[in-house]
Amino acid sequence: MAHNPTIPERRSRMTFSRRQALWGYLLALPAILLVLGLVAYPFFYAIYISFTSRVVGNPGEWIGLDNFRYLKTSPSFTRSIRNTIVLVLVTDVAKLGIGLGLALLVNQNIKGRGIFRSFIMLPWAMPGFVAFLTWRVLYQPIGGGINLVLTQTGIHPEVIDWLGQKSTAMPAVIIATVWRGFPFWFISFLAALQSVKPDLYEAARVDGANGWRRFWSVTWPAIRPVVLVTTLLSSIWTANSFENIYLLTQGGPSDATMVFPVLAYFGMQTQRLGEAAAVSVAMVPVLAILVIVVTSLMQEED
Amino acid sequence: MATSMRSKREGSIRRTNLLTNVGTYVVLILVVAIALFPIYWMVVTSLKLPREIYRMPSLWPDVFTSRNYRSLIQEEDFLVNIKNSFIVATCVTSISLVISSFAAYSLVRFRYRFKGLVGRIILFAYLTPTSLLFIPLSILIAKLNLGNSLQGLILLYLTFSLPLSTWLLQGYFRGVPRELEEQAMVDGSTRLGALFRILLPLSAPGLAAVAVFTFTGAWNELLLALILISSESKRTVPLGINYLITSDVLPWGTLMAGAVISSLPMMLLYFVAQRFMVQGMTSGSVKG
Amino acid sequence: MTMNNRITRRRVLGTSVAGAAAVGLAGSRLQESLAARKAPSHIQASGKVTYWGGLIFSDEANNLLSETITKWGEDNGVETEVVMINQNETNQKVSAAVESGTMPDALDMGLDLLLLLSSQKEILAPLDDLYTKIGDAQGGWYESMAASTDTTAIAGGRTGIPFGASGNLILRRNDALSAAGFTAAPATWEEMVTQAKAVQAPPLYGLGLALSNVGDGNVQMSVLQSYGGRIADDEGKTVTIKSDATRTYLQWVKDAWDAGIFPPGNTTWDGAGDNQAYLAGQAAFIANTGSVAIAARNDDPELFEATAYSPLPAGPNGIISPTNPNVRAISAKSANMDAAKALVEFLSNPEFMAAYFNVAIYGPVLKNQATFPAYNGENLILAGLLDLVSNGTPPGFPDKYNTAYGDFSANFIVPKMVQRVVIDGYDFDKAMDEAQTQGQAIYDKYK
Repeated sequence: MAHNPTIPERRSRMTFSRRQALWGYLLALPAILLVLGLVAYPFFYAIYISFTSRVVGNPGEWIGLDNFRYLKTSPSFTRSIRNTIVLVLVTDVAKLGIGLGLALLVNQNIKGRGIFRSFIMLPWAMPGFVAFLTWRVLYQPIGGGINLVLTQTGIHPEVIDWLGQKSTAMPAVIIATVWRGFPFWFISFLAALQSVKPDLYEAARVDGANGWRRFWSVTWPAIRPVVLVTTLLSSIWTANSFENIYLLTQGGPSDATMVFPVLAYFGMQTQRLGEAAAVSVAMVPVLAILVIVVTSLMQEED
Repeated sequence: MATSMRSKREGSIRRTNLLTNVGTYVVLILVVAIALFPIYWMVVTSLKLPREIYRMPSLWPDVFTSRNYRSLIQEEDFLVNIKNSFIVATCVTSISLVISSFAAYSLVRFRYRFKGLVGRIILFAYLTPTSLLFIPLSILIAKLNLGNSLQGLILLYLTFSLPLSTWLLQGYFRGVPRELEEQAMVDGSTRLGALFRILLPLSAPGLAAVAVFTFTGAWNELLLALILISSESKRTVPLGINYLITSDVLPWGTLMAGAVISSLPMMLLYFVAQRFMVQGMTSGSVKG
Repeated sequence: MTMNNRITRRRVLGTSVAGAAAVGLAGSRLQESLAARKAPSHIQASGKVTYWGGLIFSDEANNLLSETITKWGEDNGVETEVVMINQNETNQKVSAAVESGTMPDALDMGLDLLLLLSSQKEILAPLDDLYTKIGDAQGGWYESMAASTDTTAIAGGRTGIPFGASGNLILRRNDALSAAGFTAAPATWEEMVTQAKAVQAPPLYGLGLALSNVGDGNVQMSVLQSYGGRIADDEGKTVTIKSDATRTYLQWVKDAWDAGIFPPGNTTWDGAGDNQAYLAGQAAFIANTGSVAIAARNDDPELFEATAYSPLPAGPNGIISPTNPNVRAISAKSANMDAAKALVEFLSNPEFMAAYFNVAIYGPVLKNQATFPAYNGENLILAGLLDLVSNGTPPGFPDKYNTAYGDFSANFIVPKMVQRVVIDGYDFDKAMDEAQTQGQAIYDKYK
């Protein structure tokens, strides 16, 4: 094609990028419409009512930061902050390690990998509340599955009160949460590993790279975007998760596992929507920062 | 010289492979066993009588009974719940895949001014927990006259699955080199054609993963279904199981039976989906 | 207390079989006679009349309610829809319904929800005339029911028609206790600890009381009050939880905790925790509304036979044993007000209620109902509930059960205070100070 840097080409370049922009918006439109239409309203509604004295059946009036001030007086508030951070960090790291490790293992061409992959997904195959109710029973001091195994195999002859002791409550919640959540990481990594061309591995092997090197130079760059997204989404979900804590410990014993969603739930039981919203809204700035940072990391490549 | 070196290297590679394979199996079996212990407990409990569940906790039933399953299917119409969940989950998954493929394609391959903002806005759907959002959502649904309907549920679930699907697909789409589509467009294909004929097939594992997430999420969701659905005939699986709990004594036998029955379709789904996760779909495509 | 009759399996099973038979075999006869109670002919219902019923542990009771309402609708040419709701979710469903304008025409609820909804305008309809009419027709309402459901001050009228009373009884392992030499029910909390210590033999723990952030944990509020402690003053405005009486109560809890008689995990039990402990044979005493007895009757006859019932024991300040009313209410925005009122009136008729009480776990609310077969003394749980209604204390007594008190309970301040002492090792003053500050912050919201 002959390139003649004259006006006609400049015109076609402008049209090209405008057409690109148009296509871009058009393709994203259904998603934007649905999300804006159905989620934007509740999201801003929640932020708005956190500054009001709204209760069920009564819009209340604007009270500024009063709900937040009341929230701060609650001794559970400070513990919630610490617990949420611990919960998110530890479960993220655990799920990352387990999910990635398993994905690497079953990515190989071993026999029965289909069965392994399906079975590994089982913690996800039932509703969340059923999973956590089951863990509740498993953690029971007397007659719970875990203690049964521990005492009968002699690993720990005495029964452990997993959920009732301050020292073991949070670890117990973390284990159950990781069990429930790691299939998400596993499957998203497995899919990401597919995009890595095997020839690249072969080339690296020929160059003398060992397994570790191969992982860092070939695998990691290819799966990095997926790792970022998975971490971001899982962190947000864990920070907002309610069922795991509520069904296992209700935030106890003595606030050892109290987190914001459970605090918000207690607020909802008294139908004081403003207060409940304040609890959720208190978390939004932190989560929003997380979203912006990680999405920037992902989109910088464009 | 070269031949013996090569055969020596092949020998050591073979040995490493065997070790790796055995090691892999051991780790996998161990992990699966530990991960599946709660599942084992669920299955075993679903086959026990209530008295045994409470009074004689053990790792194996003393008396096997099928009454929990019979009660679920015959008295509680659990199969209707499965049907409803199936309808909802399938609709949500298929619609979500289409819409989020478009959106992800837009966010990855196009350049336009508010791209960053668009991407982030849809993520903000997750920032407030459903335990707070259910009230404004129920107001919205009432205004749209979709109360107590599966359609309303599909709409709500769609909204919550889109951010996840879109962002994950972005990750997978980025893994496919641009050059392939650009080559196709040079050869005369349209943008959409490139999407359908090049990008989507090469991202099949990613699509399968997203389908799994969306389906599972829609299948297992409880709170919104609880608020939205009032009629027994429209209950989904989580509602069906939830309504077994009438008061402060939990019917463990039927609860666990419900969990087991509801996980069977999911296992089928996972088995089918993982068959799309086959390495090498991108190999042999760009040579030189 | 007339509760010392040794229960025999045959007797109670006999009652339940008779009860079930009365519902089943005579069910059609029941429905026929109920059909005779036609609604006034001027009932016009535009569209469906929806009723939200709260699920209770008895399937038969739930089905009976559902079928009766449907049959009433058929007999009176009114289209009805009955939706049975889990009690754990009533609050959420009702909140969403109020906000989105999709409230049912009539529903049943407990006291907390009644107070919450009645304190806002235009949510529940005033039903004073219906209340008086029903009361007059059936011997008058029990004082405890009348007093606790009086929403006149906050809503300008009565918004709830009581239909059943519930409350906690103490269930105890009579077999283990008799073997240890205790045949009589404990009369005080101290005595209960003594008896619990005597039968303590892990895996059987003596004192199956919950100390967690759930409704069962709030039984501790009653214990605290029976020791003379008060949540707030008589006005219901200033929190007075820090006191010597509370200190004595905390000492009681701490001593019991240190003696190791609480089952492990009771600081994080959910609503089912104490029941599960009892059904698994791990607790000698629990406080329960009766559901455990029914579960035992159905699935574990041996345990059922070994169980005896008594009211909550006394503290130094007497017995605090709250009787909780369950009421039916009508939405103020109902499009079928007349039909809804007719339905609620119909549901309080003696024939239906007699059959219902046979299979449910409620005490009576109207004085004439004490003569129903359900309360003839054969069924010890129901007998206990009858006693509760006649002699129990109003909810919250001696404190004023206002919305602030409800908020205080919903935040489980008392169980938390106990948790601070036994889990975190706070000394009594520090724990009481925290409860005092947090409690006052809650009460201040309602000034």
